[in-house]
Amino acid sequence: MASIARSSLLRQLASARPTLQTGLVANAARAAAFHTTARKNLLAPLPQTIQGTVNDAAPVPETSPSHGSYHWTFDRLVAASLIPLTVAPFAAGSLNPAMDAILCATILIHSHTGFQNIIVDYIPQKRLPGVRKLFIWGLNAATAVVGLALYEFETTDVGITETIKRVWAA
Amino acid sequence: MAALRSSASRLLGAAASRPALRAAVAPAAAVRGMAQVADAASGDANLKTFQIYRWNPDTPSEKPRMQSYTLDLNKTGPMVLDALIRIKNELDPTVTFRRSCREGICGSCAMNINGTNTLACLCRIPTEDKAELKIYPLPHTFVVKDLVPDLTQFYKQYKSIKPYLQRDTPAPDGKEYRQSKADRKKLDGLYECILCACCSTSCPSYWWNSEEYLGPAILLQSYRWLVDSRDEKTAQRKDALNNSMSLYRCHTILNCTRTCPKGLNPGLAIAQIKKSMAF
Repeated sequence: MASIARSSLLRQLASARPTLQTGLVANAARAAAFHTTARKNLLAPLPQTIQGTVNDAAPVPETSPSHGSYHWTFDRLVAASLIPLTVAPFAAGSLNPAMDAILCATILIHSHTGFQNIIVDYIPQKRLPGVRKLFIWGLNAATAVVGLALYEFETTDVGITETIKRVWAA
Repeated sequence: MAALRSSASRLLGAAASRPALRAAVAPAAAVRGMAQVADAASGDANLKTFQIYRWNPDTPSEKPRMQSYTLDLNKTGPMVLDALIRIKNELDPTVTFRRSCREGICGSCAMNINGTNTLACLCRIPTEDKAELKIYPLPHTFVVKDLVPDLTQFYKQYKSIKPYLQRDTPAPDGKEYRQSKADRKKLDGLYECILCACCSTSCPSYWWNSEEYLGPAILLQSYRWLVDSRDEKTAQRKDALNNSMSLYRCHTILNCTRTCPKGLNPGLAIAQIKKSMAF
C-alpha cells in the first residue's frame, strides 16, 4: 500500500518538475533498498494490555537490593578493579600466581554479570519465563565450566598473564 | 482516499502512455492525485514535502502508510507544528495529532521528526535542503491514530512514583514548608520537565522493557522528589526503585539527554539516583 502511494507520487512529482528528477530517483532507490531489507519480527509486541484501570498506578516491584543497588555497586566495583588488575602484572613485570588468579576470577564475575544484564534486558521474565530460566541456567553452567577451565589453566599451565605475554611476543 | 489514489494512478498511467498529453495532464494529476499539492506552484514558491505516518483505527487491517503533503513554506509558519496545522486546515482534515500550547510548555505535540523525538512546536522546518521531512509518532508506542501515541503506561508509571510532596512534620510556622536557596537550586533542571515522553520513547531500554523499567522521564521526576529537601519519604522512594527493573535497566545510553526538547538531562538525574543508592 505504502509503496504504491510513494511510487505514484514520485512519478507525479518527477513529471511535474523534471529538474528534481535525479534527486528523487536517488531517494527512491534508497527507499527501495531500505524496504527490501529482511525484517525479523523477533518477539513482536503483543496487543496492548492495561493492568487495572487507566487511573491505577503501575505496580511497584518488591524492594530487592541484591538485584538492585548492591548488584549495581558490585558490578561497578568489579569493572573498576579490572583496570589496575589488568595493568599491574605488565607494569610490575613480575608474575604472581595469586594476582593472576584474582584477575581470572574478576574477569569471570565481570562477564557473568554482564551476560546476566543482557539476559534480563532482552528476555522478559513475564513473557518468556521458561526461556529466561533456560538462559540464566545456561549462563550459570557456562560460567562454572569457564571457571573450572581457568582453574585448571592456572594450576597446571602457565596462567593467563604469561599466555598473553607469549602470544604478544610471538 | 483509496479511490482517489487509484484514480490518480490511472490518470498517471494514461498520461505516461500519451507523451503528447503528458504536460497538460500532469499538473492536474498532481492536484487531484492525493489532495496533496495544495499550494499552486507560483514563481517564487518555496515548496517542501512532509511525509506523515498515517494509520486509522477504523480500518485496522490496513497497514500504516506514509502520506505526502507539499506546502509552500512562504505561506507557512517556521515550525513543524505550523506546517501540520496548515496541512490539517487546508489539505487534509483527517490528519490527526495532539497539540495545545504551540510554545513548548504542554508537551502534547511530541513526535518523531526526521528521526528525532522532539516537540513539533519547537522544531524548525529545515529550509537548507529540499529533502522530505518525515514525521512519525513517538517510537515504540501503541498508536491511537496517525501521530497520536498511547501514553497510558507512561502516565501509570508516573503515578507509581507518587509525584507529590510526602511529609508528616507540620511546617514550623504553620504556613509553608521553607527551603534554603541552595536546596531550591537542586530542583532546577528537574521541575521544568513537561512529561512529553520524548526521552522515554527514545530509550532502547524503555523500548524493550517499558512494562517494568520506568524510563528516563519518570526517573527524572523520581529524582526531583528525592532531592526535594521538604520531602520526608526519601527512603521509601529509594526502596521503590531498588529492584532489578525500575531503575537499573538504565545503561547510560543517553538518548534521553540528546533528544530532550527542553534541554534537560535525565541521564544525569538517573546517574545521581544510582550514586545516592550505591553505598
